[in-house]
Amino acid sequence: MAEKEGFRAAAFAAAGIIGLQSVYNLIADNGFLLRPPGIQSEEDFLSRCTSCGKCIEACPYVAIQAATWQAGIAAGTPVIDAASQACQLCHDFPCVAACPTGALRDVSKREDVRMGTAVIDEELCIAISKSIRCEVCYRSCPLIGEAITCEYRVPEAGNRGFAIFAPVVDAEKCTGCGICVQRCYVRQPTTAIRIEEAQRNQ
Amino acid sequence: MELTRRNFVKSTAVAMATAAAAGTAVSFAGCSPSSGGTNTGGGGGDSSMVADQTYTAVCRYCGVGCGVLVGVKDGVIISVEGDPENQSNLGALCIKGQSLAQLLYADDRLTVPLIRDDKSTKGTDGGLREATWEEALDLVAEKLKATWQTDKTRMAFWASGQLPITDGYVLAKFWKAGLLSNNIDPNARLCMASAVVAFMNVFSTDEPANCYADIDEADVFITWGANMYEAHPVLYQRLVGRKNTDTNVKHYDLGTIKTRTSEGAKTLIFNPGTDIAIANCICNYLVANQLYDEAFVSDHLKFQTGMTDLGNAFEDGYDGTDVIKNSGTTAESSLEEFASLVAPYTFEYTAELSGVAAADLEELAKLFADKSLKIMSFWTMGVNQHNRGTWMNHCIYNAHLLAGKYAQPGCGAFSLTGQPTACGTAREVGTFSHRLPADLVVANEAHRRYTEAVWDLPEGYLDEIQANGPHTVKIFRDMSSGKYDFFWSTCNNWAVSMPNLTRFLGKGDKKGIIDTFVVVNEVYPTLSCQYADVVLPAAMWVEREGQFGNAERRTSVFEKAVDPPGEAKWDMWIILQVARRVLDGAKIGEEDAFSKLFGFIWEGDDFKADARETCKAVWEEYRIFSNPSMKASVEALNTESKLKMEAKQLAPYDEYLTNHGLLWPVREVDGKWLGTSWRFNAGGPQEAGYDAVGVETYGEAGKAGDLSFYKTAGMKPAVCFRPYEPPALSPDDEYPFWFVTGRLLEQWHTGSNTTRIPDLNNTLPEALLYINDADASALGIASGDNVRVTSQYGTFEIKATTDKRVEPPAGRVFAPFFSTDNLINLAVEDIYCPLSKEPDYKKTPVKIEKA
Repeated sequence: MAEKEGFRAAAFAAAGIIGLQSVYNLIADNGFLLRPPGIQSEEDFLSRCTSCGKCIEACPYVAIQAATWQAGIAAGTPVIDAASQACQLCHDFPCVAACPTGALRDVSKREDVRMGTAVIDEELCIAISKSIRCEVCYRSCPLIGEAITCEYRVPEAGNRGFAIFAPVVDAEKCTGCGICVQRCYVRQPTTAIRIEEAQRNQ
Repeated sequence: MELTRRNFVKSTAVAMATAAAAGTAVSFAGCSPSSGGTNTGGGGGDSSMVADQTYTAVCRYCGVGCGVLVGVKDGVIISVEGDPENQSNLGALCIKGQSLAQLLYADDRLTVPLIRDDKSTKGTDGGLREATWEEALDLVAEKLKATWQTDKTRMAFWASGQLPITDGYVLAKFWKAGLLSNNIDPNARLCMASAVVAFMNVFSTDEPANCYADIDEADVFITWGANMYEAHPVLYQRLVGRKNTDTNVKHYDLGTIKTRTSEGAKTLIFNPGTDIAIANCICNYLVANQLYDEAFVSDHLKFQTGMTDLGNAFEDGYDGTDVIKNSGTTAESSLEEFASLVAPYTFEYTAELSGVAAADLEELAKLFADKSLKIMSFWTMGVNQHNRGTWMNHCIYNAHLLAGKYAQPGCGAFSLTGQPTACGTAREVGTFSHRLPADLVVANEAHRRYTEAVWDLPEGYLDEIQANGPHTVKIFRDMSSGKYDFFWSTCNNWAVSMPNLTRFLGKGDKKGIIDTFVVVNEVYPTLSCQYADVVLPAAMWVEREGQFGNAERRTSVFEKAVDPPGEAKWDMWIILQVARRVLDGAKIGEEDAFSKLFGFIWEGDDFKADARETCKAVWEEYRIFSNPSMKASVEALNTESKLKMEAKQLAPYDEYLTNHGLLWPVREVDGKWLGTSWRFNAGGPQEAGYDAVGVETYGEAGKAGDLSFYKTAGMKPAVCFRPYEPPALSPDDEYPFWFVTGRLLEQWHTGSNTTRIPDLNNTLPEALLYINDADASALGIASGDNVRVTSQYGTFEIKATTDKRVEPPAGRVFAPFFSTDNLINLAVEDIYCPLSKEPDYKKTPVKIEKA
């Protein structure tokens, strides 16, 4: 456990530096908030979450933070800024285990998690728009080859004979953990991959 | 929690990385106006900036050697983009190349010489103090000169496949002719030596006959121990591009672990070391069924057998044993004898040995038998870093040569390099302990005479260095046994990259590097600097002019685009400043030694001319080696000794700038300098990339495939039988796993550059141990747990993962070597190939415990 404590200390230091910037990052344009694993739906989550902070304390990676006043009625509830520290999909889900109200529930393995769905901005993505051998999101995906696959595309006109290595998200399999967002090489104006509301497999 | 200093450093680093990741990169932006300056949105820079000036350059990372265009504004790099006119990459780049604009500007650049006064501080991050260049150079020169004059077996230089060509040439000339020492070897010993020895054994000339453009025409790709997806990203992009345009194109990936290269390929996972059996199995099928290319065999090939039962380099005295002294000896053989020697390698026997299904082996063999198929084999470190690495290189050539599939468009056997100028510098200018420039070797009298003629030395002057010097592992082993007093390296981070670091860093029972006076030329602080007595701050990449030679024989120039920071200096300047001090008072004949060797570029205490003119002057001298007609005495020896030195003819310097790189041999035809895509192939005119001039001058026309191997003795490359011999060590009850090491795309080598680029480092900030699901659960390890990996050599901690980026089969684990936080080489064996002396980084038996 010593290692995880060390990481917590480091991550708290990091969180201090992030400051206000991260608050901005927490809230997507459409108001989507990335919640910890075990969320069933935003409505269900808000009806159960008491903002007790136990999941925040339980997260060994300090990925979970309390939403600040900018989040409106959601202030104080747990959120994740994937670009700075994504959920690492711990095998034992300490955040879910810590939740006393069942706001986070019903996950026993990674594949059960549906926090959201990764969406690639094909214009910002340099693998797709500039044929750069990047596809970092694909390689960093804990479900590599399933949640994100690498599609080899033939470039359009002016083809130099070099394939485009295009990352493609499978919404059915994506857990929304956000590791791809954290690792994305593109940072400006935003990451080229973001987590949006889960496209649920009903 | 109490923060120890180490914890504090780590916390700060994480905090900074996280801050950068969150887009609050104010602190980084402050260190350089170009931070994030790739104008792609990728680096996060200001894309509205417009460059004042654009320079042509070459990426400083892997062996692919991608051309780049460097945009500069107000003396600072603001953009780096792929160079569409460089034929090696045609403008394509990976994210390492894409992030080059930020390479120079991390805030811990070394800008002042540093001296360590107290050796007991070695291995710590303290103990170095700032010094003037005068003091540092005087100290280095004094130590080198004292060692040189007392016992020059106790000094060594460790050179690099990242040191530009002209720097390497000057270094080799200083060490070999100035100091009359062969105690110099490059880090290419760790990556390309097995390829080199096989090239010399088979073809008598080093480097591939094919080129990258062959990818566009091949029908079948075979990757042998090569994770091209990660280690040669842009070349692999071209390979996949070819597969995409024709669905009939096949790809077979042969390796001991499944990698991203395996995706989309037919993957054949073999038991470590049995690749030799697989190649022999292909050859057996060809000869037993008379499916080889008869015309090719009779026109071009001879057969040999070699020494067997070579044992392994467990003991320091291994090289001196009779078996190893004779290990390179070969005897003339015949096709019939070869057939009988490969006969045991049936599909059934090979399947049992290798673990690859007999039907798959047969499918592979039939590809070689199919005369209509163009096959491109590529290989890298799985083949070279192998206890029989030279043999395995031979075996791939055996299969391709018997099948007549070599040196033709779309068809050949291609050894990929690991570094940007492993070919150009380590190999071509002779920084190996047994070599002289341009494929010449110290042990050959005619080669020494020729070199003396180029360098204007008295006849017989180089006879003192006719015995080969020590190879890299021997240097480090001997240093750890107290046999060295002086050691100097540049463009190297040996304290991370060498195998068996436990021994070499003095952590075992040996005193190691501590007692040796160590000099390190560096650009950023590395672990090697922590063992240095003097650190000399070097100008990096486009802060000076230089040249790289990539895997396909392409020589490209990178122009100086910006000034180095602080007092950082060009490596060539550093080398010559030390050289003039050490050689002070030394004579060659009646002349001052330093002036004789370097007076053409140096006067007083500096270069005579600027960087461009200096590089040109060095290039013009180096070019005499491959253009003997430039000097009468040299030309006479070339003719007299039938050296055929034009075999790797180089062009005048400006041609490389004009053409954005050229493939050697470069021929002058009607006043134009033309490169060669397919060596030894006269199937078309020089203008179209064929070796028309070479074959016409030295070879024979009308042979099979229009080929003529004019550089090889009797014009016949050798098919040499090499048997399967087991790995040096195999897993047992105590150490039940094979540990395989390697590279991943985002970080390059020891990470000394790539970890300093925040956007890039963020993409892969941590090295992980990849382990199979079943093995992990049997050991009670969950993904994310810290584990301890231990071999009989040493031990290290690392976080384990069962993620599938790399998929080792049961009983094998993989980790990359870039991270200083997880020094995996503490546990890696330093057993090497007996012929090439290249260590085997791929087969250390280890145990794994939850930490």
